[in-house]
Amino acid sequence: MVARLEITLKPELFDAEGEAIRRKARDYFNIQLDEVRTIHVLTIDAQLSQEQLESARLQIFTNPVSQISSFKPLAPPFDWAIWIGFRPGVRDNPGSTAVEAMEDLFKIRFQPGESVYTSRLYLLKGKILGRDKRGYRLVERIAKELLANDLIQQWRTYSAEEWNPQEGIGIIVPKVRLAHEPTVSTLPISSDEELQALSQERNLALHPNDVPVIRSYFLRPEVRAARSEVGLSDPTDVELEYISQARSDHCNHNTFQGKFYYRDLGTGETEVVDNIFKTCIQAPTLELKERKGWVVSVLWDNAGVASFDQDTYYVITGETHNSPSNMEAYGGALTGIVGVYRDPMGTGKGSRLIAGTYGYCVGYRDYRGPLKPHLHPRRLLDGVIEGVRDGGNKSGIPTPYGQVFFDHGYMGKCLVFVTALGIMPATVSGTPSEKKTTTAGDLIIMCGGRVGKDGIHGVTASSEIYSEDTPAGHVQIGDPYTQKKMHDFLLEARDRGLIAFITDNGGGGLSSSIGESARFSKGALVELDKVPLKYEGLDLWEIWVSESQERMTVAIKPEDLKRFMQLSEKHEVESTVIGQYTDSGRLHIAYHGETCAYVDLALLESGFPQWEFEAEWVEPEHRGLREPVLSPPDNQRRILLTMLSRPNIASKEWIVRQYDHEVQGTSVVKHLVGAERDVPNDGVVLRPRLESLRGLATAQALNPTYSRIDAYHMTACTIDETVRRLLAVGGSLEHLGGVDNFCWPNIQYDPESNPDGKLKAAQLVRANWALRDYCLGFGIPLLSGKDSMYVDGNLEGDFGERHKVSGLETLQFTGTSVIEDVQRCLTMEAKVPGDFLYVLGVTRNELAGSEYYDLYGYTGLNVPQVKLEEVLPLYQTLEQSTRGEILASVHGIYRGGLGVHLALVAMAGGLGLEVELAKVPAEGVKRDDILLYSESAGRFIVTVAPEDRAEFEEKFKGLPWGCVGMVTENKKLTIRGLEGKVLLNVGLRQLKTAWKKPFGKL
Amino acid sequence: MEKDKDISPSTFSIRSAPKALVLTGFGLNCDWETTHALELAGAEAHRVHINQLVMGEEIGARARLEDYQIFAFIGGFSWGDDHGAGVIFASKLLYNIGEDILRFIEEGNLVIGICNGFQAMVNVGLLPGFDGDYRSRTVALIGNDCGSFRDQWVHLKVETGSPCVFTRGLEHLELPVRHGEGKFYAEESVIKDLEEKHQVVVRYADSDGNLANGSYPENPNGSMNDIAGVCDSTGRVFGLMPHPEAYNHWTNHPNWTLFKERYRRGGEPYPQEGYGIQIFRNAVDYFK
Repeated sequence: MVARLEITLKPELFDAEGEAIRRKARDYFNIQLDEVRTIHVLTIDAQLSQEQLESARLQIFTNPVSQISSFKPLAPPFDWAIWIGFRPGVRDNPGSTAVEAMEDLFKIRFQPGESVYTSRLYLLKGKILGRDKRGYRLVERIAKELLANDLIQQWRTYSAEEWNPQEGIGIIVPKVRLAHEPTVSTLPISSDEELQALSQERNLALHPNDVPVIRSYFLRPEVRAARSEVGLSDPTDVELEYISQARSDHCNHNTFQGKFYYRDLGTGETEVVDNIFKTCIQAPTLELKERKGWVVSVLWDNAGVASFDQDTYYVITGETHNSPSNMEAYGGALTGIVGVYRDPMGTGKGSRLIAGTYGYCVGYRDYRGPLKPHLHPRRLLDGVIEGVRDGGNKSGIPTPYGQVFFDHGYMGKCLVFVTALGIMPATVSGTPSEKKTTTAGDLIIMCGGRVGKDGIHGVTASSEIYSEDTPAGHVQIGDPYTQKKMHDFLLEARDRGLIAFITDNGGGGLSSSIGESARFSKGALVELDKVPLKYEGLDLWEIWVSESQERMTVAIKPEDLKRFMQLSEKHEVESTVIGQYTDSGRLHIAYHGETCAYVDLALLESGFPQWEFEAEWVEPEHRGLREPVLSPPDNQRRILLTMLSRPNIASKEWIVRQYDHEVQGTSVVKHLVGAERDVPNDGVVLRPRLESLRGLATAQALNPTYSRIDAYHMTACTIDETVRRLLAVGGSLEHLGGVDNFCWPNIQYDPESNPDGKLKAAQLVRANWALRDYCLGFGIPLLSGKDSMYVDGNLEGDFGERHKVSGLETLQFTGTSVIEDVQRCLTMEAKVPGDFLYVLGVTRNELAGSEYYDLYGYTGLNVPQVKLEEVLPLYQTLEQSTRGEILASVHGIYRGGLGVHLALVAMAGGLGLEVELAKVPAEGVKRDDILLYSESAGRFIVTVAPEDRAEFEEKFKGLPWGCVGMVTENKKLTIRGLEGKVLLNVGLRQLKTAWKKPFGKL
Repeated sequence: MEKDKDISPSTFSIRSAPKALVLTGFGLNCDWETTHALELAGAEAHRVHINQLVMGEEIGARARLEDYQIFAFIGGFSWGDDHGAGVIFASKLLYNIGEDILRFIEEGNLVIGICNGFQAMVNVGLLPGFDGDYRSRTVALIGNDCGSFRDQWVHLKVETGSPCVFTRGLEHLELPVRHGEGKFYAEESVIKDLEEKHQVVVRYADSDGNLANGSYPENPNGSMNDIAGVCDSTGRVFGLMPHPEAYNHWTNHPNWTLFKERYRRGGEPYPQEGYGIQIFRNAVDYFK
């Protein structure tokens, strides 16, 4: 039988969840509601007696102090009600834990098909909500644009008249029913055209150049002979899906390994750039690895490994989860962060997660234009923030750092960067922890979640989405709880020496994880019928490529199986032997003893043609970019306050506070610092080994607007900014680790759909040249990195027309540094009145792509450039001064320029600053506004105690520095212009009010 | 470093150190730092998975509560905090090892619950534990008034009249809170009883040490009467929302770099330990 349990707060209690919805309805749509209350619904579809149901209600699901509950409708009078529940097959985490709790209470097991489904009923009250059409439209809007996402959820609305107080919402069971016998099909390949057509039809996304290679393989006589021995002839769907996954851009990085025909239209010179991955990422990193003993393992595993101390390594990688987040912000971002956490877990023999960071690039939160993205940027950002919040917090991993960038271009597709850091002992049971391999005879084990239709071919799935009970699988919801249990389990298994090989199931599912791990042993035999499923009815190829989350693939020795399974049971994690590694040279897949795939592993290692791109570079001045004709403003005070309240500068404390950034007890330098703990610091520092004083610093940067001029300098500035952020907290130049995450619009030229594709391709090449030049220049090995192409969207406008909107060419750069003694770390706020204020580094007229020009709607031409020979000696001296503990604070000057960053230093310290612009080291700058808002690279603001002044100035002799003023007690920022007159004099309160204006109430 | 503490007891603990059991598993997540804090305070702390108490021999790693003197219900997101924070955590303990826990308390041992652990303790009924009744649910920790999870440091005023063993000698503390459901709620009569019996241990305060009086963000969640933590009648069972184990080193404090600047200029040594450790040291000292 099916029972519906409703639970709600006692009527006299404040409903914070309902109140948050009331506020959003007001802020987003100007719909004034009087009250919103929520009822949690559990639909229990299981053979339980009345007594059992009643006992579950009282003993588990109802808090007698704060809640009431009933198997009958609970709703008190309302004007309108909205019910929201999941579509069939969507991951329902609380539904699963409800099952777990009842199984434990009654010591029973739920039978296949039995389940618990959670949903919510919102009760709305408000004069505005008439029971007429208008009322319905408002309620519909709240349901659709605030509460539910129709990709994963269904909803119903009820007016007070329609409501049946006896029946309530009735019984709604979103169960997956697939009346389908699992099959395997053979696909004819009589011609390339036929295979290409098949690829389109089945959404295999095979590159046209790959088609003949695949076809000729299956036509080879020796291949056909071997296949006929196992009962196969033409390729099966399982095989083609496997090949398609392995050849996808996601798994194979065909773009970065492609061939670029680069032409500079200015000089007419042409160059063939063969494989930017090899030349700009791999080669410099390998060269640096030779020089830097702390680089342990790079360029092959799920994440990079570097030395933390003598017997500990840290592990890092970064990912993006753009497309899924763009469609379902919460689920996409949650799946993204939980997914990237599996990479360090699957690096070497497995590492323990110690931190995650985020980067969000979205459209403007207050966008009111005609374009209609699937989710409004405001809702999208809310969802993304909450997804990463739940993913990180529930994993018990601190989220200590992150960044947000707004630009119209991200309306087409948002960017969600997620980065993960782990730590592992250098040796595990006496063997190097970073090494792993599979050997013939090892068992293949799948751990964690079960397999459903999740993440299989987005497009095919979306055509099924609106039918009653097919799973809405292509949009996923991560399950941090299941993964946390698996994380704890696998670390214990690792420490007992049970893990020979481990990798995660992400893109491509088992197809990737087994396909790749089988290359070590040179073969695998997989029994697909052993794979545990969420529900029956999946075709074999679906089991093979499903991207159901929270799964790892592990290789263990047969003699370790019992111990491994016992540990698995202790942690209540599902682990299943699904095959064995072999040395047959083949990937052999069977289902109940019948072969359904039999492919030579060597097929994927050779013979596929490179992707090719045309790239055309046009210098910015030849693209019509110019410096604007702009006179200096009269009201410098108002300019500064306006700059501070621009979305890309303004306080984003509301996001930082939602993230647990202190779990694990390792926090040293937090993201928000200062007297009122509300100003973002340059970087953060953790002390991952609690018994040690050693620290790990991390920071990130992105500067996509500079790409409007030249992605070469965008990249250079982004790397330089990351380096400065690390130095500012106490990092060292000797240990700088990097992670590059590229997000780029489509670079494949098409005269109609992508007319500027050649320029975007040239920008990608140039960005990678800068990556190579500056990583070598600063000495940054790339510990990890990823690329995500196709940051474009086609958005509907006012008249039903569609506009292509492309994201800016974006690189997020992540840096790490190891700090010997965290007690030498620094933060950015001015600390003591009477300290001297310095600016280090040269300010030039470099405002192109700046926040200041953007304020007026200009792009400009003079993009900031990084002069390595100038900045490196300065950075070295700064590092020595940090080690010598003669600085009171250090802060880099980034987006917004000197004016904005002086204000931040003052606000953070809760102390005044007196500044003379004439003392700022500059070159060719004769205007106050340019000095205040230029975004030249390589600069810092530093405060120094009077007693350290002489030593400080001695150290910096010969370098560009200026003592520009003092820290004062008077809580005012006073700036004198080049001519010595007071340019502005603003109280800290006013500065802070302006800076918190856009998002301070969120 | 990442050795399993339950199979190889700490080597640097002294013979007379009390043994502390730190619960792990099912989404709990403050195990490493709580273990570390207890060890800094002088205890011999072991991370023990809930199933080692519940399942025992089946998984070949039985642990027994009676081998310990301090029992730590730690923070985390047990069972994802679905169906209310600490709800399934509480039912798992109550219906499997409830009797063992009662016996543990009756035998004069110490129990501390932090954040998710505190939520579970009130859901089991271990707190407020009026007059030896450890089975009645009379208080609740419900959703923050601000409507979201929040991480911030708070000032706590310690009620010096409380019998709480863990806060002996403390008057004021700064600790981080990190929760979405930390609003202390009970009927007025229960609150009155708690106050009259001096079972309120810590309250949210401002930086001058005055009670927050419900003002946000000093009182970060809307707790009634600014209550951040309570103990039972004996003072041996204590639960609080803020995280003392997260202030295990002096550099955990959000303003430590300013303190450092003052120490440095004044020629004073740096303090090393975080003030949160004192909570655990009081527990260890109780057995001396």
